[in-house]
Amino acid sequence: MIRKVAPVIAVLAILAGWQAYTAISGIDSWLLPSPTDVLAAAADQRDSLITHTLATTKLTLLGFTAGVVIGLLVAVVLHLVPLLRAALYPLLVTSQNIPTIAIAPLLVVWLGFGLAPKIVVIVLVCFFPVAVATLDGLGRSDALIADYLLMSGANRRQLFTKLQWPAALPAMFSGLKIAATYSVFGAIISEWLGSDVGIGRYMIIQKSAFRADRMFVAIAIVVLLALAVFGLVLLVEKLTVKGRRSRG
Amino acid sequence: MADTALDITGLSHSYGDLHVLEDISLRVGKGEFVSIVGPSGSGKSTLFHLIGGLLTPATGTIGIDGAHANGRRGLIGYMPQAPALLPWRTIEDNVVLAREIGGAPKRGTRPQARDWLAKVGLDGFARSYPHELSGGMQQRVAFLRALLAGRDLICLDEPFSALDAMLRAEMHRWLLDIWEQDRRSILFVTHNIEEALLLSDTVYVFTRRPATVLERVEVPFERPRRAEVVDDPTFVRLRRRLTDLLTASPR
Repeated sequence: MIRKVAPVIAVLAILAGWQAYTAISGIDSWLLPSPTDVLAAAADQRDSLITHTLATTKLTLLGFTAGVVIGLLVAVVLHLVPLLRAALYPLLVTSQNIPTIAIAPLLVVWLGFGLAPKIVVIVLVCFFPVAVATLDGLGRSDALIADYLLMSGANRRQLFTKLQWPAALPAMFSGLKIAATYSVFGAIISEWLGSDVGIGRYMIIQKSAFRADRMFVAIAIVVLLALAVFGLVLLVEKLTVKGRRSRG
Repeated sequence: MADTALDITGLSHSYGDLHVLEDISLRVGKGEFVSIVGPSGSGKSTLFHLIGGLLTPATGTIGIDGAHANGRRGLIGYMPQAPALLPWRTIEDNVVLAREIGGAPKRGTRPQARDWLAKVGLDGFARSYPHELSGGMQQRVAFLRALLAGRDLICLDEPFSALDAMLRAEMHRWLLDIWEQDRRSILFVTHNIEEALLLSDTVYVFTRRPATVLERVEVPFERPRRAEVVDDPTFVRLRRRLTDLLTASPR
């Protein structure tokens, strides 16, 4: 019980310290607004924030879904074709060293200002953790159980569906959890590139207006959104992963 | 050859330069309980991989139920060294696994699985997951899974080697009880001489690698076998002889 409330207490303590500091130091609120200033800004901007948040949520979920589907496809194909895995795996890892921020403007040049380049940015940040974690999980199933299944007459498809895939689920969900938080971050970056709506867009506008209070509101929304997507993955994991796993 | 469950003739196998099995011939009759004892690393697991079709023998033939079975899979019920249950499946769904691979839908085979679980005193665990069971219970489930594979020949690879002496004795009793009710043809691998003599009709003694058949011993005690048979003078003499054979085995 005490473990569960501990993080809540920590957050409250930080907020209280922040509030006290702004009050005592008398720092200008455009430089560092107090938590109550931020709350006031959120209430004030309610209607516009709802529109922006909905747009970002939609973009995040679309991009996350596309990224997960592509990540899983890549993992399964590379697992089933070892030669392809040997050829492409190093490339896959290397590709992650390219900063998203650097290729994002190129995507706009290629794909325009519509939904497409934004989805691609999210897919680029999401598919990698899913693909690598799942691929790892698929390769780690118990060799003794595999021998048992083969001797009992299992074909390659049965070996995959009855052993390798279910055995990979815990690893896959680790990848999904990382991708969940990345997806919100990807959505914000893609909105910075050029968008007329979304929390990323809202941040750009408020930054130019030196509205630190509204920037903090936007940051809080991004954090809450990431937690929500993470929670969603956690829920699906609870519903699908049964029994205790020896590894993975 | 309808009275022969497994017929192995002139079987040899090597991994590269490493000769593992050398001219092995052995036979398991229908309803017969046959054991192989040999020192560790005498290629017993390789033999099972050959019988199970995971490997194809370089020379020699394997016949299962009178049919040529070199490199053919899915013809035996198999119980590996560790229970090897699928951790995300309930006990009853683990028991039906081999049948499911053969194409039988779970729904049809679950009642039979539950009947057997009840017979062996695991009826309360049909819906449990493997990690909720003790090691001995998991071994029983693994044996039922092999039994319900629906094959006449069941191969057991040192199934009790990880259990303590008390539990092992209990498992012997349990296995014999089931086997005496439902007489299958069994090939049992162990490095425990007493276990082999207690359970089997016939014991093959293997040498160290490359393994050859050193001796074939028929065990003369009646069925159902009593636990006290281990104190019988004939039993003691046989145990002495097999121990000598194994320790004196060349190399």
